[in-house]
Amino acid sequence: MTDVGTRMPERVIGPITRTDLVRYAGAAGDMNPIHHDEEFARSAGQPSVFAHGLLTGGMLAAQVAGWLGAANVRSLSLRFTGRVLPGDTLALEGVVEEIDEVAGERIAKCALRVVRQTGEDALRAVATAVVT
Amino acid sequence: MPADASLIGTELGVERFPLDRSKLRELAIAVQDEDPIALDGRAVPLNWPVLVQHWRPKGSIAEALGLDLRRVVHGEVRWEYLAPVGVGEEITARRWVAGVTSREGKRGGTMTLVSVQIDFTRADGTPVARQTDTIIETAG
Repeated sequence: MTDVGTRMPERVIGPITRTDLVRYAGAAGDMNPIHHDEEFARSAGQPSVFAHGLLTGGMLAAQVAGWLGAANVRSLSLRFTGRVLPGDTLALEGVVEEIDEVAGERIAKCALRVVRQTGEDALRAVATAVVT
Repeated sequence: MPADASLIGTELGVERFPLDRSKLRELAIAVQDEDPIALDGRAVPLNWPVLVQHWRPKGSIAEALGLDLRRVVHGEVRWEYLAPVGVGEEITARRWVAGVTSREGKRGGTMTLVSVQIDFTRADGTPVARQTDTIIETAG
């Protein structure tokens, strides 16, 4: 039974490579040059290319689906709080913060985050899902 | 063209696209999904709405809104799932500007937040998902 305090299985992904960024750009059709063109990224004041927020978000979404079941998820809100750079290793974490009974269903509100090896958050998220 | 409140309600286009297995497989590989069914393109992942981007005319939404790509940051994305969708379904996506707000940047200048909503429906018109993006043009 899922309860307040139940944790998502932790997952570590990385190191993230430039090839990972290019693969995501192609898979998702997001061709913003800041994610694959080093010269463009530097001209924008970035230290290098960096990951699409939705690459990190997609990694987290996959982990959430594995944990709660995609069909049970009602919403997923992602807030991009920091850059993911090539070479980063990411830890995906989540915990149930609240359970509400709504019309006979138990709805879990889960706090999620993706943390870089530096300890900084790259992403904070909230998922709601029907749980048993 | 600076983004301002006059943009609210602006239609950014309608796209119709299939949730096809090959793209789902490619997306699952790209996000390093561990689910063998997802990796085979036979499950619809939670981030499926991103696939609409393949069907847009060339150029990003930020460019369509007249924002400076060097200063644009993707701030937030919210997905609400309204009904289940299956592999192979035809999806229609209608995108529009839901909000524009400006505020002073921390180091001077004006920061603009644009909220873009995408309403996804299936062939019979049933709403299946809603995506809300917050796009930030930082003060420059």
